[in-house]
Formats: sequence, structure tokens, C-alpha cells
Amino acid sequence: MIETEARDGAGGVHAAGALHVEAEPVGRSGLLARLGIPFNVALVLPAQLTIMVVVVVPTLIVLWLAVTDWQPTQDLAWWQAQFIWFWNFNDLWYDQRFINALIRTVFVVGVCIGVELSLALALALLFVEEWWWKRLAVSVIILPMMVVPVDAANAFFMLFNDRGPINHMITVLIGRPFTFSWLSDPTWAMLPIMLCEIWQWTPLMFLMVLTGMMALPQNQVRAAVALGASPVRIFRRIVLPLLMPVIGIAVLIRSIETFKIFDPVYILTRGQPGGATETISMYMYNGAFVYFRMGYIAAAALIVLVLVLSICIALSKPLKRHT
Amino acid sequence: MKRLFNGIGPSRRDVLKAGATGLAGFAMSPLLGRGAHAEQWALKNIHETAAAKAKELAGSRNVSLKIMQPSGSLGNVKPVGDLWTKATGIPVHYLEVPLGEINQKVLLEAVSKSGSFDLALPATFGIPDLAESGILVNLDKYAQKYEPTDYQKDVLYTIGDYYKGSLYGYQTDGDTYLMFYNKDWLDNADEQKGFSDKHGYALKVPDTWEQLDAMMEWFHRPDKGMYGGALFRTQYFIAWEWWGRFHAKGFYPLADDLTPQINNDAGIAALEELIAASKFLYPGARTNGLFENFEAFGKGDKFADIGWGGTQKFLNSDKSKIKGRLAFGDMPGGMVNGELLRTPYFNWGWNYVVSSVSPDPEIAYLFSLFACSPVMSTIAVRDPGGYFDPIRGIHYKDPQIQKTYTEEFLVAHKHSMINSIPDFYLKGQGEYFDELRVNIAAADAGTKTAKAALDDCAASWERITRRMGKRSQSVQWHFLKANYPAGIRDRLK
Amino acid sequence: MPRRLAIFLRRMAVVVAMVIAFFPIFWLFSTLVKPYDGWAAWPPVWISDHPTLQNYRIVFFPKAARAFAAKQSGSLDYKVSGSAWKAFEDSAIISTCATFLSILFGTLAAFSIVRFRTGGPNYAFQFLTVRMMPPIAVVVPIVALFSMLRLADTYFGMILAYTAFTLPFSIWMIRSFIEEAPQELEGAAMIHGMGQMEAFIKVTLPLVKGGILATALFIFILNWSEFLFALVLTSGNVVTVTLQVANYVSASSGKLYGVQAAMGAISTLPVILFGYIIQRHLVRGLTFGAVKR
Repeated sequence: MIETEARDGAGGVHAAGALHVEAEPVGRSGLLARLGIPFNVALVLPAQLTIMVVVVVPTLIVLWLAVTDWQPTQDLAWWQAQFIWFWNFNDLWYDQRFINALIRTVFVVGVCIGVELSLALALALLFVEEWWWKRLAVSVIILPMMVVPVDAANAFFMLFNDRGPINHMITVLIGRPFTFSWLSDPTWAMLPIMLCEIWQWTPLMFLMVLTGMMALPQNQVRAAVALGASPVRIFRRIVLPLLMPVIGIAVLIRSIETFKIFDPVYILTRGQPGGATETISMYMYNGAFVYFRMGYIAAAALIVLVLVLSICIALSKPLKRHT
Repeated sequence: MKRLFNGIGPSRRDVLKAGATGLAGFAMSPLLGRGAHAEQWALKNIHETAAAKAKELAGSRNVSLKIMQPSGSLGNVKPVGDLWTKATGIPVHYLEVPLGEINQKVLLEAVSKSGSFDLALPATFGIPDLAESGILVNLDKYAQKYEPTDYQKDVLYTIGDYYKGSLYGYQTDGDTYLMFYNKDWLDNADEQKGFSDKHGYALKVPDTWEQLDAMMEWFHRPDKGMYGGALFRTQYFIAWEWWGRFHAKGFYPLADDLTPQINNDAGIAALEELIAASKFLYPGARTNGLFENFEAFGKGDKFADIGWGGTQKFLNSDKSKIKGRLAFGDMPGGMVNGELLRTPYFNWGWNYVVSSVSPDPEIAYLFSLFACSPVMSTIAVRDPGGYFDPIRGIHYKDPQIQKTYTEEFLVAHKHSMINSIPDFYLKGQGEYFDELRVNIAAADAGTKTAKAALDDCAASWERITRRMGKRSQSVQWHFLKANYPAGIRDRLK
Repeated sequence: MPRRLAIFLRRMAVVVAMVIAFFPIFWLFSTLVKPYDGWAAWPPVWISDHPTLQNYRIVFFPKAARAFAAKQSGSLDYKVSGSAWKAFEDSAIISTCATFLSILFGTLAAFSIVRFRTGGPNYAFQFLTVRMMPPIAVVVPIVALFSMLRLADTYFGMILAYTAFTLPFSIWMIRSFIEEAPQELEGAAMIHGMGQMEAFIKVTLPLVKGGILATALFIFILNWSEFLFALVLTSGNVVTVTLQVANYVSASSGKLYGVQAAMGAISTLPVILFGYIIQRHLVRGLTFGAVKR
């Protein structure tokens, strides 16, 4: 039975008629009681504090940095940086490279998710039946998602070398030498990056869709078959709608992760040639750690944070409703 | 242009002194008035005295030195480090970072101040940014105490060691950009006759870019498997060739008031000639990186290549088919006011710098004094697998080094080193050059005209200068201008 | 279409998928044993006819590599880098400690959220937002903050950062496991006099320990594979396996493909191993407990 996370934050599953003991937040004796910290709060404190230090405080610092022109290369500490009102945001509005990075990232997310999902659905359909080496097949197919992303990217670097196996295979295919330098071409350099991402994460989509398909109520499908519906119709009218929750989650989570894409871009091109493969993470890395314009990039980071969070919140509501 | 050959000639120090005192209103050059100590420290055993002094300073404390070095340079650094430890008892630890990252890592240290290294080997063109960020120790006070008067005399390129008149690190690597030619083709009598008949001058190692371009055109016969040149048209390298072509026309990149001159007629002409020459390059010119370039030229089917000592290390190895059949020359120059002007170009280099977070900057400085001493630097340069190319006059006489590079090459290398113009040592060098790279590459690809590309670049340069602080940049620019090699300085406008 | 042909074609499609999935890994291992001249040869060398262990030696046993290179002319120069042991050690230390902390904090927090509804209905969602933002967005202030706290390029700093960024996974995954465990058993134990916490530890925890172990391995995989923080928060004192690959560059030979392949292939092995062990839980983990088998 698939349970999709549409509930509130702390719901529990209660078996009907079982004894249900509602836990009372009890303050234990000793230090916690004296500090007035209820026991349940104390339990979340370590996690909460870690998040505060590593995530919350830095986010607050981003708010400050975004309105300064902090460039550490000017021998200034970050709290001494020059306050410049909203000029960073103004400059970002006109910064073609930033806008391009955003658009490019959205494009990458769209293409990668689209391809991953299609391949995953197609593959999952191949796996609904049983055959003797099915488990081996699944194990091999999910191998890509268990490779360290940096090593996968390095492998793809070697594959797409202008004297690598991909070009070799194309050479054999078209009958004349093909030594195209994928990673140096502004138009095509994005392809190896996207292929690396697709190669690595299609197996995850595949697993999720497969899990979803395995858990479909069989009686609906059987009824449709008995009524003489064609496989295509069954797929479109029964299977796909029932898979929607799983697909929804898969698409949402993978979209967020793909939006953050960094490792393949860094290893394969660093955003070169000339910024042609700069995704938003690469843009921010270059801006902050190559050009050291950290105040400016903090403003960019703020814009990205707001964008991502609002889209997530906007999308998660219909998702909650759907399930 | 006279060949200033064997270390006899104006010493770097004299040149810098002249430059520094030429600055109006600038503080006294730190190079004048070295302290009494330095006179007692002779150059020939400076490595011993520096080590002894470091040992004395360390005393009974538990001192160690951490050096951040670019990956691949361990062979240059470790032998010297081991000898240091033997002489001083101070252990050395090596932190390796990818060579494309080291400047950023040192700059990052200005932010994080983690104390992860005492010394680092950043690329020379990053020193202005590093100095401005406060992460580098100004070494003047230590140099005054310890540097022998003739320490830098034998070093053929020291411009990058100084920023706004102060010393920030000693050069370790002779990265002058020079030319390689297919000697068989050059010496071929038929080719020589045919060429001189057509062009009216002899086929030999070219003096000017015009001649080089003509020769590359002459030899470019792709249907016969011969190519004019293996020069670079990748975005990263292309700007360096343009820099050379531009200076050869007799101009500085900036006027005295920091207005860019790169988009003047000379700049546009230089770019157009570069684009025209692209036709005579081998197909991989637009995509191949450094090592593919070595292999490609090593096949022996191309006329000209451009590179560094590292290129020669490959071309002189068993992996190259052209071994022993090479001619060498400075980067070509140009005719300015009827006379030949050569502007060889030093476009990389690694300097030993001292971190301002280091607990023992004085000892760290003494290490750099040790490592760049005549004896120790020779040991470092000897490593065939590392980065360091000859930088001191005595390196050229070392038999092992001669064997790696060939004597013929060393003659050309030394000549190129002595007269090398510096890179654009200003704060924000990376940004300036990136603008140059993007625009020049666009012009070469045909998406912009040469004029538009350089105009856009000049406009960006003005913005960058404003952001970096015009006054600060002006101080360094005038210092830098005054330190261009003596013979070239007066001929550039 | 005849049924057997259709089945055959479907199986072939699966085989094609398997080949595509496996091919880059194959290439890594094939390059691992290639000597220098095979790295960028044309046509490319698919399976080397004179395989060598030199790449592997350079990564793990530089001294042996040196000895080998001294004997064999034309062999790759060996002085390119220090050994990779430090990278493996540092990665192991950081990944293990960060995993441990993440699981510990995560279990406590998950327990509190499930049993006490701490923080209200949307509390757990806050942890999810940590994973929604691109890490690069907070990396700049983290660098500034860590340097102020003297945590830059330290083990503790890295462990702290890794713990924070895997907490969403540990909290949500363990939460889903705890929710699956029947609550009545705890209730029964409490009626018999155990305290809430004691009941949890003695009754529920053993039931979910398989899930927690799976979560631990999952988080270990995430920590071991992490790249961005390692890139930005370290300056050579701490080196992780993901960074070490980029160190294999030499003056005369450029990117040392074979050595990089060796480093990459070997450093990815633990991840592949753990991944297969927790195969069943991978989907749950990567969807924050939303999708379970």
C-alpha cells in the first residue's frame, strides 16, 4: 500500500480499535525541568540547533550580504562590508548571465525530468511481467544511481572526449571519422551534462514508477481486461491516473534536485565554454569563488531561494489535495 | 633589438629601482637601502645561511611549514622541502589543490583564515588580487633583513614578484611564451627558394607576426597533410596570442589615465590578423587543450607551435616524432616606426608567497629564500615531470636541464625570458582577461566584428576599473608600466 | 505480432537498458587498467591488450609506483601527487561521524515529532526546506560563518555541515519507519510501568532498527558522495575522495585519465556496495519517506 506524504506533520497510523496512548509532553526532572524545557522539545534540540547553525544563521547572513557589496578580496570582513541598498538586485535584473543561467537551469530541469520520466515509464512497463533473470536486470539498471556523482561525471568526461568511445561509435555508424569536441562546443556542451544526469537518475524514477505499478489494485486492471480493453487504453485510463501520486512526488522531488545540479557541470565544463553551460548553481559558484563578488551572489541566492520555495509551496498544495 | 644574453645586462633590481623612483609621489622603493645583514649573506651559499637562520628562529619550538601547491608540482617542491627539513629540522607538509584552483583557494583563505598553509604557490597573475585581499605578507621587511643584494640579479624575470613596489613572492618558473618551428621544413632548400621568390625575404625563424602568418599560409597544405600552425584558438589561450600581437604593434593596453587602448586601430588590426591566421591552423586549434597540442605538434606535420618550456619537455621526449628537428624563436614582434620591436610575453609563472595567517611568516620567508636560491632552484627545475622551467641564468648551464630541454632550446628560452613583457598584473586580472577572452573568441568565431568585440571589451574594462578603484589601479599600473623591460618600455605608447 | 517475437523484443529492450546503465562503469574500469598510451588514443582502446596496475599503484602505493616507473621507461611519471590514503581516511572519518550524528539527532527528533507532535503539524516540513534550496545559496555565508568560528577546513566543520544537510533525510525516513511500527506495543509497555523514552528504546527501536540501519547507510552514501561543500570548505588540510580525483593532473600529461579512473572506480565501490544492501529502501530514502514498498 503506497502512502504518500499528504498528512500533517505528526500524524500516526492507528489500527482500528487499538489502545491509543496519546503521549503527554512530560518534563523530566533534573536539568531540563529546571531550564523549563519540556522533554519532547529537548529531543528535537540537537537537530534543530544543528540546522540553526548551519542553515538558519547563514540564511540570515545572506539577507545581510545581499544588500552589501562584500568582496572579501578587498580585505574586509563580512560585517564591515559596504551597505549598498538594493543595487545588487538592480544589477541582477540587468545581468544577462544570471538570467541566462536561470533559464538554462529551468530548461535542463524540463528536459531531464521529461526524458527521465518517459524512459522510466517505458522501462517499468517492460518489468511488469516476470522472467527468470528479472532481478539481475533490475540490479544492473539501478547501478547508475549508486555511483558517486563526481565519478559518474568523470566517466562521462572520458566518454565524450573527442577521441572517446561515443565518437568512436558514431564514427563506425556513419562511416567517416567523427571527432567532435562535445565539451568545447557552446551549443552542444550541455548534452553530455544532461545525459550524465539522465543516466544517473532515470533508475530512480524507474524504481518509483515500478513500485507504484506493483502496488496497483489488480482488480481494476483485471476488470478492464475482462471487458476487452486494449493495453493502451488500460494504461492511459487506469494505470496512469492511479500512478499520478507517485509520478507527482517523483517529478517534484527530482525537479528540485535537478534544479540544484552542480557536480556534472563542474566536472564536465565548469560552465564553459564562455558560460554556455552555466546552470544557476555554477553561476553562483563562479561568481562567489572565482570572482569573489559574494555580496552580489548573496542577492542572487536570495532570489533563487525565494523562487524555489514559492514554487515548492505552490506545487505541494495541489499535490496534497490530489492524494 | 640586441640580444641581452648571458646574464650580463641590466639586473632586474636596477630596472625596478629605475621604475620605482620614476613614480611621482610614490614612497621610496623598498629595494633601496638593504640592511646591513644582507651584505653579510653571500649569494652562493644563501641556502645554507637561510636554513641556519630558520633553524635558529625555530629554536626549540615545534615549528612546521605547510605549503599549498598546485597538483602536479610535487616533483618541483618536495626535493627542496626534504633538503630543507634535513638542514633545519623543520618538517614540511604539502597540501595539494588542483592547479586551476590554487589562486582561488589562496583567495578563499583571505575569507576563511583557517591557517591551512604557511606558504603557497599561486600563479603569478593572481598576486595583485591576493595582495589586495590581505592574505599575502608584504615581504619587504624580511627582504631587507635577509635578501642578498645580488639575489635577484640572476633571475631573468622578476616583474611578477612585486606589486605596487613591494615584494610579495619569488618567481620559481620560467613561463615565457615562445615559438617552435619544424626545422626540416624551414631548412628545406626548395621551400626556401619558393618562399623567397614569392615574398621577397628569406624563409627563416620569423621576426614579425606578418612573417609568421605568411609562413603559416605558405606551409598550410591540408590536402597533403601539412598544416601551417598548431597555435591555439580555444577561448582560454586565444587572448594570449592577441596580447602578443597587440603589444608588437607598439601599444600598452591602457593609457596613463587607465583608458583602455585595446580597441584602438592597432588592437583591431591585431585581432583581424589573428582571425585571418586562424585559416592556417590545424583543425584541432579551436578545441584542443595544452596536452593535445603537444601531441598534435609532436606528429611533425605542422609548421609552427607556441608554448612554454613544458611544451619542449614533451617535444624532446620519446613520445614526440619531431624530437631533434625543431627550431625555436621568440614570439614574433612587429615593425614600429620602421624598426623591429620584439615583445616576448611571460604569461604564467608560480611564486612562493607567505600567508598572513601563518604563525611563522619569517621562517616561511626564509624557506622561499632557500627554495629560490641558485642551488635549490636548480634542483627544483631539474625535475622533468614538474612545472618549473629555467628561471635563473645558472639553470641554463646545468647538464641535466640541458639534457631535458636541449641547449638550442635553452638559448631561445633565455632570450625570450630576458625581454618578456609582463602579464596584466592588476587587481581583477581574471575579470579583465575573461572579457578579453570572450570577446576575442566571439570575433574569431565570427559572431562579432573585431571592432565591436574590442569596443565591448574596452567598455567592460572601464567598468571593471571603476569597480576595482581607479586610484588604486592607477598606482599599480604606473608601477607595472615602469617595469616593462627597458628596451621595450620606451617604444610602447 | 507473434507472441514470442514480442517477448524477445521486450527482453532485448531490457538488455539494451542494462548495457547503457553499465557502460560508463565499464569504461571507468577499462580505463583503470589502461597504460598511459591508451588513455586518449584514436581509435579508442576499449579493452587494453596490455593492462597495467600502475594507475592503481599511483593512487594507493606511490612508492611502489615510483619503483615500477623507474624500471620501465615510458611509464607514467609518478611524482604527480601524494597518496590517496588521506582522502579515504578523511572521507571515512567525516562520513561516519556525520552519519552517526545525523542518525542520532534524527531519531530523537523523529521520535519527538511522531509521539509528541512537537512543533505542530508543519514542523517536519521545515527540515524539508533545507533540501529544497540549492546548497550553493548558503555556502557563501557558511564559509564566512565557519571562518569566524574557526571551523573552516576542519573535520568538525565538515561533519557539522554534512549532519545538517542530511538531517531532513534521517528525520523523514526514520519518522516513516517509526510510524509503521505499531504504537500499541509501546502503550502496553508504558502501562507496565516503563517511561515513554524507555518504552521507545526497548520496544519500538528494535522493531525499526533495520530501517534505521538502512537510513544510516543511505546517509553514509550521501556524505561520501558529497562534493560542493568539500570543494568550498576545505583548503587541503581535509581532503575527501570526491576532491582527490581532481588532483590527478600532471605537468606533462594533463588529466591523468587512468589514475582518475582508478580513484573514481575505487572510491565509488563502497557506495555501490551499500546501495545494493539497502536497495529496498532507496526509493523511500530519496523521496523522504513518501514512497514506500
